[in-house]
Amino acid sequence: MGITFIMVFPLLWMFRVSLSPVGSLSISEIWTSSSYTLSNYYDLFTSNNMGLYLFNSILVGLIVTISNILFCFTVGYAFARFQYITNKILFVTIILVLMIPAHIIIIPLYLICLEVGIYDSYLALILPWLVNPIGVFLVKQYIDSLPISMEEAARIDGASELRILFKIIMPICKPALAVLAIQVFFTNWNSFLFPYILTQSDQYRTLPVALALFQGHQAIDWQHLMAGSTISVIPVLVIFILMQKQIVSGITGGAIKQ
Amino acid sequence: MKWYKKTAFLLALPWLVTFVVFWLFPLVYSFIIGFTDYELLSDSINWVGFENYKTLLSDEVFLSSLSNTFIFVFGTIPFTTIISLLLALLVNGNYKGRDFFRSAFFMPSVTSMVVIALIFTNLYQRGGYIAMLAQMLGFTTPEYGFLFDKNTALYSIMAMDIWMSVGYYMLIFLAGLKSIPDELYEAADISGASQSKKFFSITLPLLRPVALFILVVNSIKSFQVFQEIFVMTKGKFDTSTAVYYIYDTGLTTNFQFGYVSAAAYILFVIIGLFSLTQFLLIRRRQSLW
Repeated sequence: MGITFIMVFPLLWMFRVSLSPVGSLSISEIWTSSSYTLSNYYDLFTSNNMGLYLFNSILVGLIVTISNILFCFTVGYAFARFQYITNKILFVTIILVLMIPAHIIIIPLYLICLEVGIYDSYLALILPWLVNPIGVFLVKQYIDSLPISMEEAARIDGASELRILFKIIMPICKPALAVLAIQVFFTNWNSFLFPYILTQSDQYRTLPVALALFQGHQAIDWQHLMAGSTISVIPVLVIFILMQKQIVSGITGGAIKQ
Repeated sequence: MKWYKKTAFLLALPWLVTFVVFWLFPLVYSFIIGFTDYELLSDSINWVGFENYKTLLSDEVFLSSLSNTFIFVFGTIPFTTIISLLLALLVNGNYKGRDFFRSAFFMPSVTSMVVIALIFTNLYQRGGYIAMLAQMLGFTTPEYGFLFDKNTALYSIMAMDIWMSVGYYMLIFLAGLKSIPDELYEAADISGASQSKKFFSITLPLLRPVALFILVVNSIKSFQVFQEIFVMTKGKFDTSTAVYYIYDTGLTTNFQFGYVSAAAYILFVIIGLFSLTQFLLIRRRQSLW
């Protein structure tokens, strides 16, 4: 029980502080006090740009997730079913990326975005993350486990390759694609380093970036900061509670197959 | 079968383009400019050979960032690994409320690092919750809060990191525990093995591949610690780490792109060597047993 308390307390604390009125209570009083208010949340949307940051996070998160579902599927299919050179090239590239620590591309990616002219725009937040190598691997493994006879039968019936791909294979891959979608969305939703260094203006800030930069005034306005944090945590917690099984299988699946 | 090859290539194209533009090119590019004196406003770029690397190895700010990174990695990984294994054993049984515990332990892992860092900045502050608890237990606390003191700042961030990541590795250990066949335990029961004997001669050895995976993944991640430093201390109070140094020197103050690219490659080599050593060590032990 003690461990559970330690694990859960910080998040409860965040929620409690976000509901307490600004400035009136000392730290030790907040937990036991009975004054609750939603005005911190209200302020964030009226006198702060919280609505914009939330919109940015959702927009970027959805585009990246949808594109990953589509592209990880097509690439994973090519990887699983075509035995030619493509397969080998794909394997080498994916292993390479999994081994490269992300810190090494911070500077070059920043320079590329400046050079190409997508620095400080939605494109900088989206383009580099359209296909995720781990996602490709996940889909590849799933398609490997499907019998090839189904596609061959469809091919003999004269179905086009596109039809086979999207009408026959894709629906079967739904479980794998769901796992992939959740992981990609979470990673993107929580991502900070790259959105921070690839954008500059307030207009393109996502939630984590906005929250990290919210500080920096003389005294930290904890009530509003924690309200903003709660807003960024809630979608993740809701998805987590609804889709726990898929999330857990996504995490453990990769590890155990090693 | 020409169409066949063409289709495969077309289907794979999105990844191949992403790979070349956003991974391969940056990787090669930063390797090359690591040997130049490229800066944001420099008129000409000159080849300087290993000069950047030589300067880095005597750059005290870089070296202390690197040593902080090592403190972070070696100070968190043993605790994270052992605690997550204990938690996995704790939630592996069959009892009521087990799923609740699993979710509760795992929850910090799906929360954004920025949010966690903000919450702990609050908890660690002067007169904050943790200082209050520590004083109740009779400890003296740093005057300006845990994050504003050279002796406690880095360790406070490390403690938070352990707290945050144990749930994730617990799940991986749990999957490892599930993959151990029940027959082994049954056989051990028949031969009258004690609980601890079963743990040390069945569970632990069979968890080795999972433990290796966890060690490698966790150390690659920990060597790149950045967000929590950025949010909590901005590298002050002796908490700057290697990636924070790269960010700070490369993108906020000096814009010395060549110089920090060399620093990034030094860290890259360290991470590579470290993963390789872990891999070899654990494999050798396995063949000895």
